[in-house]
Amino acid sequence: MRRLYLILSEGRLMARTEKVLSAKEAVERFMKDGCFVAIGGMHMHNNTMALIREVIRQNVGIGRLITSPSGSVNADMLIGAGLVDELYCAYVGMEHLGLAPNFRKFAESGKLKVRECDEAFVTFTLRAGASSMPFIPLPRGLEATSVPSMNEEDYRWTSDPFGGEKVACLPALQPDVALVHCQKADEYGNAIFEGSKFNDFLMIKASDKVILQVEEVVPHEYILENAMRVDVPAFLVDAVVNTPFGCHPTASHRYYRYDEGHIKEYLGACKEDFDAYLDRYVRGPKDNEEYLEVIGGREKAKELMEGGVPW
Amino acid sequence: MVEVKTAELMASVLSKHLEDGDVAIMGAFSAIPMLASRLAQMTHAPNLTYIAGGSGAVNPLLEPLVASSCDDRLLKAEAVLPLSDVIDFEARTEIDIFFAGGLQIDKRGNCNLLGIGKPGEIKFRGPGSVGLPFLSRARRFAIYSMNHSTRTFVEKVDFISGPGFVDGKDFPGGGPSLVVTPICVMDFDEERMQLKSVHPGVSVDDVVQNTGFELRIPDDVPQTGLPTEEELELMREIDPLGVARNSL
Repeated sequence: MRRLYLILSEGRLMARTEKVLSAKEAVERFMKDGCFVAIGGMHMHNNTMALIREVIRQNVGIGRLITSPSGSVNADMLIGAGLVDELYCAYVGMEHLGLAPNFRKFAESGKLKVRECDEAFVTFTLRAGASSMPFIPLPRGLEATSVPSMNEEDYRWTSDPFGGEKVACLPALQPDVALVHCQKADEYGNAIFEGSKFNDFLMIKASDKVILQVEEVVPHEYILENAMRVDVPAFLVDAVVNTPFGCHPTASHRYYRYDEGHIKEYLGACKEDFDAYLDRYVRGPKDNEEYLEVIGGREKAKELMEGGVPW
Repeated sequence: MVEVKTAELMASVLSKHLEDGDVAIMGAFSAIPMLASRLAQMTHAPNLTYIAGGSGAVNPLLEPLVASSCDDRLLKAEAVLPLSDVIDFEARTEIDIFFAGGLQIDKRGNCNLLGIGKPGEIKFRGPGSVGLPFLSRARRFAIYSMNHSTRTFVEKVDFISGPGFVDGKDFPGGGPSLVVTPICVMDFDEERMQLKSVHPGVSVDDVVQNTGFELRIPDDVPQTGLPTEEELELMREIDPLGVARNSL
């Protein structure tokens, strides 16, 4: 108390570091070639597409990629750009819209190394990583599947030191960097998920560096007034990238829905000329603002919120 | 009476398989199981709990039913949980009924979402095993398939994503209990898939021709019971956009 008083009385209250960066700056600063990357969101919702597009612009190679657990356009686009060496695969697909064409092509040709897993793997390895457990044993059941035999690197067997039974174990994973979408954050990185939280907070806790892509930067006072709703405290966050409509063509929960027409265009382009797609929508526009112009402007967001917020 | 669409017939069959007090869970691409669950709550299982996959939504009201299992419209619900909590329920054997599917399904109820081929030589890469490995920890599971062909219903799956009945393994789960396809309903006898009923306009021989293994056929195979008019009306209320209805 005495120390705090002294600091205040001498007028030495220091300004906090603001973490708002452009996508370009954040990717340059926190993503190194060959890094281990975790990407948040689920299916075609809350994918950090503005960051993904920037990774492709900067041509940053990804040594290992993990999705949380259901990857969609985010993983498929990085794979299609030839940037991913290895993928922890619980699911990559477009749900009712079909399979993920680049993922299929690269996995079938052997260009992508698939580390076979499931959603429990993603959850438990990140849970172990988040609390620095050396490894984590799994509940029984997995041994009846083909998954562990397809990925002997990541599944090991030991005996339960209490009961003696054979149990499967997973390593603790601590990705170098997590790319996660939150709808709101202040300039320091205190953030709120306005919809589903998915596995994204677990991913944030497990990862060394965290880049948050947000729909809007809110005043710090908003965070103080809503502390009970804050999901991510600022000290875990390294960069806040303010890119309204940055999840397009996927959804940002309660802000806009996924763009089915664009995802279908993407799926078609994967089968024909994926490079042309990347040139038009990814490498051509220099940032998300220019990307929005290419897809028809912010009016598009209004179209994608037809029916409004669900309550 | 209005025409019954095949997807509605499948949803009504799955709905009847749900019991009051069950906790049900479904994953990606689950418009039909979601429709079935909401219908069950409205007709005979008011205490059914259902969890809409990755969205983490518990008992979504489906106003209206939507196609994606993670859509924000599902968050109009009783609770919305982080996915890691949902995985805990699956691991803890809190789930009474899991809805499953596969690129391949075999006579013992094993499901494959991993791919077609052999280890190291996958010719057709599937999306991945997602939640299916925990089928072995659900009290029972129902398989629904959007097609019924010899390519889907095979003697033995190339890879096991979700285990059906497994020899010599003592898992907490009870195994597969029902299979619903666009042409028939099947269940299990002595841990082998057997025909239970055929949908209107389908013969037993049609099912046999489209199944890649020797299906057990009981002496008496009835026609699948149609949804009542009340059930149909409720389904059209839940699914005004035809998301499930027109998915086949």
